Amino acid sequence: MRNKILFIIFVSVFISSCSNNGAGYEYMPNMYRSPSLETYGKNNFFSDSLNARKPVLGTIARGNLSSFNFDGSLEGYLLAGKEAINPYENNSDNLEEGKKLYAMFCKHCHGEYGAGGGSITHPVYSAIPHYNDDELLRRCDLPMSQLTAGHLYHAITYGLNAMGPHASQLTEKERWQIVLYVQELQKRPK
Amino acid sequence: MTINFRVYFRFIVLSVFYFASIFLYADNVENGEKIYKQNCTACHLMTKARLVGPGLEGVTEKYEKEWLIKWIRNSQALIASGDERAIAIFEEYDKSVMTSFDFSDEEFSDLLAYLANPPVEEVVVSSGVQTVENQGMSNSTILMIIALVLVTVVFLLVSVKNSLKTALGKETETVSQTLINKYKLFVSNNINVLFISAVGLIVGLKFVYDLLMGVGVTTNYQPAQPIAFSHEIHAGINGVDCNYCHTSARHSKHSGIPSANVCMNCHTYISEGSKYGTKEIAKIYEAVGFDPDSRQYIEGYEQKPIEWVRIHNLPDHAYFNHSQHVVAGGLECQECHGPVEEMEVLYQYSELTMGWCIECHRETEVKMEGNNYYTHLHDQLKEKYKGKPITVDMIGGIECGKCHY
Repeated sequence: MRNKILFIIFVSVFISSCSNNGAGYEYMPNMYRSPSLETYGKNNFFSDSLNARKPVLGTIARGNLSSFNFDGSLEGYLLAGKEAINPYENNSDNLEEGKKLYAMFCKHCHGEYGAGGGSITHPVYSAIPHYNDDELLRRCDLPMSQLTAGHLYHAITYGLNAMGPHASQLTEKERWQIVLYVQELQKRPK
Repeated sequence: MTINFRVYFRFIVLSVFYFASIFLYADNVENGEKIYKQNCTACHLMTKARLVGPGLEGVTEKYEKEWLIKWIRNSQALIASGDERAIAIFEEYDKSVMTSFDFSDEEFSDLLAYLANPPVEEVVVSSGVQTVENQGMSNSTILMIIALVLVTVVFLLVSVKNSLKTALGKETETVSQTLINKYKLFVSNNINVLFISAVGLIVGLKFVYDLLMGVGVTTNYQPAQPIAFSHEIHAGINGVDCNYCHTSARHSKHSGIPSANVCMNCHTYISEGSKYGTKEIAKIYEAVGFDPDSRQYIEGYEQKPIEWVRIHNLPDHAYFNHSQHVVAGGLECQECHGPVEEMEVLYQYSELTMGWCIECHRETEVKMEGNNYYTHLHDQLKEKYKGKPITVDMIGGIECGKCHY
């Protein structure tokens, strides 16, 4: 009797030990695995072991010299609102691209037309100001519908209230294209 | 009699007054709640906890009504007038400017009534365990149960046979003896042995073939990740676009794993998830050094990388570029990665074998609209193939050197 029980236990363990949690076998790992470091791997060389490195502090990638030199403070915001100029012109290509980017990066909170109603329904992201609102004064003493390109760009770059900074996710060009599209939404009738 | 009547009258008047006040008061609070939810929740919680601005529990006791109205109407004017408390709170919250809300007097009294008497939140019993759907038994469990049933049947039959034999006064035999006898009888016939060997050989070859074909193919690979991140919640229910987090898919070879600052875009203010509570989100805070109570980053904190387990992995000798497929090719992420927005735990959907790549390149037509960069080439192709569908292999999509160099 004891043997039978042991046999059944052995069979159950054997069967239940099959799972797809291992990545499996591979031919010739020498050709499969890169000898050079892969983007998201680890190494023993840097103290934080990350293969993905940040650009060297104080350097600027070729072609990425910014025309927007305002810091993240309230003063920077107000100054940007007055002085920053969108280097990209308002044409159909830029607007089309801005619309596409808006759908990827803004729509889930700000809604399709910048009037709230996005797919995120968490309370923190439910009281979304409407882009075409012309009553409530924001921190620059202007209502949403009259915020300038500089204000919008500053908010995308450095974040505002519950909205985080999006500078790492969008290039400068993409941010300005979104600004162009948001300015169209500001003009939407209520 | 008159006394009685007076008492009744008083009682009626008082009760009418009392109920009326309850109804009026309820109306106020309800309207106040509406105003609160439309305008305030982006920066304030109804508890003591800090969000962008301070938690609002007990705010009506801390400040008098007139002061609060002045502050909400135009906090900057109040600060400029030199009000000490206003300046103190402005400094405490890193000089973030509160939007000016020009509500009417009535709206203000409704809002403040709500702030003074927020309804007690109903404690919703977490249904986390119940929501996990019973996904039925796996194949191996079913097989195991069948095997157990068969074994039991063998034992039962043998014991029935034995009891019949004892009834007839014949010699009984144990299960193993029965099996051995049957086996000997079976093996004594050569055709039986030949047949079994042939079947065994075919099954064995098929097994070895599948094993070899499966080397390097990791479809359905679903490792446990260091943080129980749910694509179903983020991309499915919350509808966040894939590109929001995997931004580099449009710009580079890799579709990058988002760095923790992208998580923090929302999770600075959302520290409790719908499925795992604070447990999993706390792991992001642990990695970046963020204190959810003060909602501040801890100074001088040594940040730790989150070690996600890689699922999709091409061999080093095959080149693949995401931006080429996403931007120029205009593919949806789901075409290769499957219904990610329905995956609670991510798994590899496609085979990622060379056959799989080539099959797609043979079937997929080249997207020519809205691709100005290649207009000249596209015109030439249209000229050459005259109305035939132009698939990726016709523009070199199956040349060896395109992927192996």
